[in-house]
Amino acid sequence: MKSMFKKALALVLAIAMLATFAACGGTTSYTANNTEFVIGVSGPLTGAAAVYGVAVKNSAQMAVDEINAAGGLNGVKFKLVATDDVHDPTKVAANYASMLEGGMQVSLGTVTTGPGLEYSKLSVEDNVFFLTPSASGDKIPEFDNGYQMCFADGNQGKVAADYVNGLGLKEIGVFYKSDDPYSDGIYKQFKEAINADIKITETVFTGEASDFSTQINTLKDCKFIFMPIYYQPASVFMNQAKDIIAKDAVYYGCDGFDGLAGQFDDFSVIPQEVSMLSHFDSNATEGAAADFIKKYTEKYDAETLNQFGASAYDCVYAIFNAMKAAIDAGTEIDVTISASDLCDILKGQFGGDFSYSGVTGTDIKWQANGYVAKGAIKYVLKTANEE
Amino acid sequence: MEFIETLLNGLSIGSTYAVIALGYTMVYGIAKMLNFAHGDVIMVGGYMIYLTMAGIGNPILGLAVAVLFCVVLGISIEKVAYKPLRGASPLAVLITAIGVSYLLQSTAQIIFGSAPKMVIVADLGNLTIGSLTVPYYMLITLGCSVVIMLTLSLFVKYTKTGRAMIAVSEDKGAAQLMGINVNAIITITFAIGSGLAAFAGFFMLMKSPSLSNTLGAMPGIKAFTAAVIGGIGSIPGAMVGGILMGIVEALSLTVPAIAPYTDAIEFLVLIVILLVRPSGILGKVRREKV
Amino acid sequence: MANKLTNIKWKHYVNYIAVAIVTVVFGALAFAGALPSSALYLLEKIAISIILAVSLSMVVGFLGELSLGHAGFMCVGAYLGGKASVILEPMLKGVPAGKEIALVISLIVGGVVAALFGIVIGLPALRLKGDYLAIVTLAFGEIVRSVFMNTSSESFGGALGLSTPRYNKSILFIIAFVLVLVCLAVTQNLIRSKHGRAITAIRDNEIAARATGINVTKYKLAVFTISSLFAGVAGVLYSYSNYNVQSSKFSYNYSIEILVMVVLGGMGSINGSIIAATLITYLDNTLQTVLTGDLAVLQDLLYALILIVIVIYNNAPALKNFRDRFNLQSVLKRKFDPNHQHDDEAKWDRVPTKIAMNEILSVDVQPQMSTLDPDKKEGV
Repeated sequence: MKSMFKKALALVLAIAMLATFAACGGTTSYTANNTEFVIGVSGPLTGAAAVYGVAVKNSAQMAVDEINAAGGLNGVKFKLVATDDVHDPTKVAANYASMLEGGMQVSLGTVTTGPGLEYSKLSVEDNVFFLTPSASGDKIPEFDNGYQMCFADGNQGKVAADYVNGLGLKEIGVFYKSDDPYSDGIYKQFKEAINADIKITETVFTGEASDFSTQINTLKDCKFIFMPIYYQPASVFMNQAKDIIAKDAVYYGCDGFDGLAGQFDDFSVIPQEVSMLSHFDSNATEGAAADFIKKYTEKYDAETLNQFGASAYDCVYAIFNAMKAAIDAGTEIDVTISASDLCDILKGQFGGDFSYSGVTGTDIKWQANGYVAKGAIKYVLKTANEE
Repeated sequence: MEFIETLLNGLSIGSTYAVIALGYTMVYGIAKMLNFAHGDVIMVGGYMIYLTMAGIGNPILGLAVAVLFCVVLGISIEKVAYKPLRGASPLAVLITAIGVSYLLQSTAQIIFGSAPKMVIVADLGNLTIGSLTVPYYMLITLGCSVVIMLTLSLFVKYTKTGRAMIAVSEDKGAAQLMGINVNAIITITFAIGSGLAAFAGFFMLMKSPSLSNTLGAMPGIKAFTAAVIGGIGSIPGAMVGGILMGIVEALSLTVPAIAPYTDAIEFLVLIVILLVRPSGILGKVRREKV
Repeated sequence: MANKLTNIKWKHYVNYIAVAIVTVVFGALAFAGALPSSALYLLEKIAISIILAVSLSMVVGFLGELSLGHAGFMCVGAYLGGKASVILEPMLKGVPAGKEIALVISLIVGGVVAALFGIVIGLPALRLKGDYLAIVTLAFGEIVRSVFMNTSSESFGGALGLSTPRYNKSILFIIAFVLVLVCLAVTQNLIRSKHGRAITAIRDNEIAARATGINVTKYKLAVFTISSLFAGVAGVLYSYSNYNVQSSKFSYNYSIEILVMVVLGGMGSINGSIIAATLITYLDNTLQTVLTGDLAVLQDLLYALILIVIVIYNNAPALKNFRDRFNLQSVLKRKFDPNHQHDDEAKWDRVPTKIAMNEILSVDVQPQMSTLDPDKKEGV
């Protein structure tokens, strides 16, 4: 008898779902009722990587608010939809579809690389433009609808290796996260481009590890440690290593290092030199970066300030500027424009002469393959402490 | 020298696992349930230490506040989520435990935000003997753990409450008939387990200052593994299992070729040990009766 | 008598019919282009969840052993099946129906390899009891995940994951639901056969079962293997429904999510597993897509609260009377048939398990009163 009840329930459920599905299906023009331009982004708003997703969501929202306050695009405002993928690629399809069906016209892709691989292939099917602030995988802009605001991992690895080659070191240490596409991607290219006669002491960690005493012990005689990882584990490493690794050693990282100083009440507890190759320094005191930092910390929690956010802020403005440039050039962009039509317009812009100057660089251009072309700067986050 | 340092590191990781595993094992022994939320109590303890440190700046006081709060939290979780299910299927209790685990993690994110906190408990430096360098925190962790384990063993063996715990874990019904208040004993067990979790949180923050809402998840699972290796339900077993896990972890991390597989190796050790000794190293072999 | 027989038969087949109707209706809608992508993705996910829940329910609900490594077997299937499809698709490029052939072969490869893993793990692990088996299967799942995570980029993609071909989304969910039917057919035919009675006998009392000459090891291993096979099949479907297979998905958390479906559905109830899998997947998806932006942090909170409340409501011994009086079924019964008495026919899928010592979830509890009053039954 119970099973009959269950079947009845199953039937009711099926009908209910059918009704909801069929009701919203059928139209291909999801943007017909838009009254604002809708920008979508999928990122980890919860879970272990949440700090990156939250930074992107906040900063992009801030840019949207500013644009709207200044009158939008010819009077049409923008709206940001940020969905949560918990850094899980499986959740991307649902986010993407719900945003698209909710009227998304242009997007910031995903915040992280793993889900981004899924997103790039989904979005090319519908021809939806995305400019990702921080999904740095080499394959993210694989198709012509995808562009990056951050440096691709492979490029970062190569640039870092060139820098290290120029230092004339005999021996370096490496500390990376083998299960992270970002870290793994940079390090692979780094290893390929580094001079063969430099001896590398390699240490790794995986997952949410927060204790690196073993790795530190292995690296303790290294004078130069390359760490293509994010600032959070890096801060843990440095704090644990401060008395073990030589005081005159150098920690060298990529853009993931940004945000490091904010992890410490007093950065000088770390005696070693820390520097990074990046496009943004969240301790900047001048220029566009400083303005951004000021605005962000006034509005949001300073703990979530990092280069992900700066990059997302730039992404929104870059898309806005590109749309504006297209309109100025005589293209018509209506508020109900379909994602695909807008994508073609933006592809023309980003694939063409369009350039953008903002928080993470000036005169930023894009290569035909979607990679960003802008200057990477070596930031010295802190110099070695004087003895 | 390096080997000794690695070994000491393993001992200190292991003793942290052991302290967490004690909580698992005692709750399992007495309430016959896998308390999947135990790892997250560690995280809550961590946040309590963070709050106290931010307010007053005294780590010892932080530990005290954390222990107190976790004891209260443990008791309330037991009362609200587990007690209504006493007598129901253990699987149902397992599912609520998982629910509680999600609840604690997500509440922590709502309250404290998504950015991990740096909690530098105390800057203690290293002890150097010849070429041997040992951070003080390792010694403190080891020392505290040994004291905790000894106290707990003595408590269980020589106090009335402790013996009542053994009685309840042996046979709930018979214990009740002997006049033991089973509910009270279960509550005390949860209180002790959660208090120990706060200690574990303190040790973990001392070692590595990063605090996020997933702090306790993986250590919780590993400590559970340790408890099973040692023989779940057995207090000395939890210690043996924890130390073993810690040493395996430290050793495998030093070999670059196998370091990425460290988690896998720890779990492999578990499987191998259970195949040789199906109830863990110190677990009791129970005869099944029809 | 004849009436009764047809009645039983109908009950046995109704879940096939329900799934088939859902498939046909949604399939027709999809072909008419009336289903948006979000619905198609959701249907794929639901079908995968159902296969996972039904196959895990064999081990947990019918065999009575707790497994926390189901995602591990799925992971094996996803990677191996995904790899097979990556290799096969270019080979079968010119062949008519090449994609379909590749899909079938991948399903077989993924399923069979996962089943082999089931044997390899099951053979030693099934000697263990209860929670020890649970932790060993959990460990297995974590080992599998960690191994695939650290493979080279040429073999299984390592940290970046294995990029796999995605199948046409308006067809894949139909294939997935057909596989749900296959899974149901295998599971239910096994459970309803004499082997199935042997399996439930092992669950209810292993020593007694052994004493009556049941080959306990053989049956345990068989159930475990079939369950892993379908987990592997679900994994292959997963790889076909995503462009990318990343091992981080297959952590113990995912195994637990599947276990939640089985437990909420009611131990030893296949229909319960189907409904719970559908509802939980739907709930998950809805929370994820509705709670965007600043509200996203509420997802887990709501999910956890719903979980705790449902489990306590369904299981708390203190609420038993309340449940019996106010569950939807008895309310309906009282309304339409005031003289109704519960029947007490022995139900193979509704006996208490040894995991559930005292009573099982409410959906499966047999009201005791009818046995006291056998005469009434004839009148119903």
